[in-house]
Amino acid sequence: MKSLFTVIEFTIKEAVKRKSFIISMIIILGIIVIGFNVPNMISALSGDDNEKTSILIIDEDNIFGEELIEINSSDEDYDYTMSKKNYSNEELDKMFENKEYDSCVRFKKENEKIVIDYIAKSLLMGDSIPESLLENFQMQYTAKKIEEAGITPEQLQAMFTQFEVNTIQTDENAGTGNILVMMLLSIVLFYAIYFCAYQISTSITTEKTSKIMEALVTSTSPKMIVLGKTIGIGILGIFQVIIIATVAFLSAKTFLPDGILDSIINMSNITPTLCLVTLVYFLLGYLTYAFLYALTGSMVSKPEDINSANSPIAVLAVIGFYLSYFSMMNPASNINKFAAIFPFSSPFCMPFRILMGSASNSEIITSILILFITILIIAKVSIKVYSSAILNYGTKMNFKNIFKICKSNKD
Amino acid sequence: MGLSVENVSKSFIDKKAVDNISFKIEKPGVFALLGTNGAGKTTTIRMMLGIIKKDSGIIQWNGKDVDRKNVNFGYLPEERGIYPKTKIFDQLLYFAKLKGMNKKEADKEIDYWLERLKLKEYKYQTAEKLSKGNQQKVQFITAIIHSPELIVLDEPFSGLDPVNTQILKEIILELVDKGKYIVMSSHQMNTVEEFCDDIVILDRGKTIIKGNLEDIKDTYPITKLEIVTKDDITSLIKSEKMTLKENKNRKYIVQFSDRTQADALLKKLIDKNISIEKFELLKPTLHEIFIEKVGEN
Repeated sequence: MKSLFTVIEFTIKEAVKRKSFIISMIIILGIIVIGFNVPNMISALSGDDNEKTSILIIDEDNIFGEELIEINSSDEDYDYTMSKKNYSNEELDKMFENKEYDSCVRFKKENEKIVIDYIAKSLLMGDSIPESLLENFQMQYTAKKIEEAGITPEQLQAMFTQFEVNTIQTDENAGTGNILVMMLLSIVLFYAIYFCAYQISTSITTEKTSKIMEALVTSTSPKMIVLGKTIGIGILGIFQVIIIATVAFLSAKTFLPDGILDSIINMSNITPTLCLVTLVYFLLGYLTYAFLYALTGSMVSKPEDINSANSPIAVLAVIGFYLSYFSMMNPASNINKFAAIFPFSSPFCMPFRILMGSASNSEIITSILILFITILIIAKVSIKVYSSAILNYGTKMNFKNIFKICKSNKD
Repeated sequence: MGLSVENVSKSFIDKKAVDNISFKIEKPGVFALLGTNGAGKTTTIRMMLGIIKKDSGIIQWNGKDVDRKNVNFGYLPEERGIYPKTKIFDQLLYFAKLKGMNKKEADKEIDYWLERLKLKEYKYQTAEKLSKGNQQKVQFITAIIHSPELIVLDEPFSGLDPVNTQILKEIILELVDKGKYIVMSSHQMNTVEEFCDDIVILDRGKTIIKGNLEDIKDTYPITKLEIVTKDDITSLIKSEKMTLKENKNRKYIVQFSDRTQADALLKKLIDKNISIEKFELLKPTLHEIFIEKVGEN
């Protein structure tokens, strides 16, 4: 047991000291801090540009009557000037040239239709009439016509009564719409598998390549080495996730406007039981893939072979990850019931099903039990292959050879 | 007491690596496990250390079956390995702790051995910055840091310069004085002769010779003679119908078929008042025995 802690300690220390670890952490944390600051940066960059866009509005056909339009002056980006005069395009161009106006909106009547021209010096940047201005005109024109028809404001309000929608679910245990937190957890689990568990195979192959294995297996048991590496890299992964989550949370709190974070992540549906079950799935999911990676790490002899040996596991993880999204869209389908039981996808899928209230207790227990047994089997095979194949330098390992070696090295 | 290997065999997928070998190491000292490449030495060592399981036979240490959990062995493998990016102190501490030492003991031993093997200046350097020989000395420390009862050294001198070879030889002799059992596998026969009392020679997984080195040599007839003299004795050697094998720097190596020829030559040298610095009947060397035995097979 003491040697297990020694392996864990050494694994963590070695990983933390690696330049790649330090650089990747700095980059990730930098991206998070910068990412949450993007809105502030954009406003800071555009902050100097305080000049409003000035727009000339021409109503040459007197569409809006004499008591002309009250422009909604709440739109701080634009300055409006109203005119009944008809200007030619040349005159307008001169005005644009002299910076009197930036653009012009011209209303005219054609065959009882109202046509709006938007005129600017250059439309290369895709300029068009501001939406707020258009809405304002439409509302005022409609109001004018309604008033002309003799309808009172009360009658108008009665006509346009808006429906109020309430959503009510009958199953009290069922979760509701906000599954963003679960999606985040799913991404974190995928990260743990893809980047952390992956390191186990790299670490084992590196020790095999550097020929240190032989001295190592005479110093402690292979079981302690595999378990120590798996737990050590797991702890480091959790530590990384906590740091990343903390920095992300603090950045969001500091840099985003108040209330935005609460509106994105609604924690009201996340019960302690769900947290616990999710954590169990997270740990079991990590262990499943970690031992699979230990197996592939033991099977290859050269670092350049790791990627090809690990690709089937990466494919399994990707399938599991996407099945969890499929669960989200269609929780009642049979494929999802299977995915929630199948040990390589259940860590991704089951927390979603539980959140959505579509998993029964028996399903959860069965799924955890299958996952647990799978981990035991994979761990046993991994340790066996590790202690047998690790001394096979150079020989390409296939499953037939591994089976024979394990058999010939049977206790 | 000691190590006992009895009728041990091991086969791999397509080959019998070790075939019914037996030997015993009953008292502290250096025991040589010799053989050509692929003779089964490393497989035997790995079975002794419990890294791989034997197919049949018994391997016991102090009367108990060998199991890595209950023995305190040290091992310098032939396949040298080291963590290239890790500091020397950190890797020595790692191995010391894996072998059950606490931090305080380990610190003390690390300092002692780094000083002893002239590696102190590299204590906080990464292993990749060390020369191959120095890396090998670091690995030697990992094998002995926990003061094991049985130490297995697979080619301990390969790649070492004469100064470091001498340091290592002195340490091995010290370990023997402290009552350690050392199993050494080497292709350097002169080094083995210098250290080892008992030997076993393997060839293609089988034992072809084993026992006390001097006893083995005694079973071979003496057919060579070494004479060191300033005078030219070539004609006297020829007169006794002996073959001159080597004549360099006043040293004559002479081969004969009958011991009486050597006696007769000595008598002639004395009668002729020739100044003799050395006159020695040469027992066969381990190298010659090895070549002869392995060559036969």
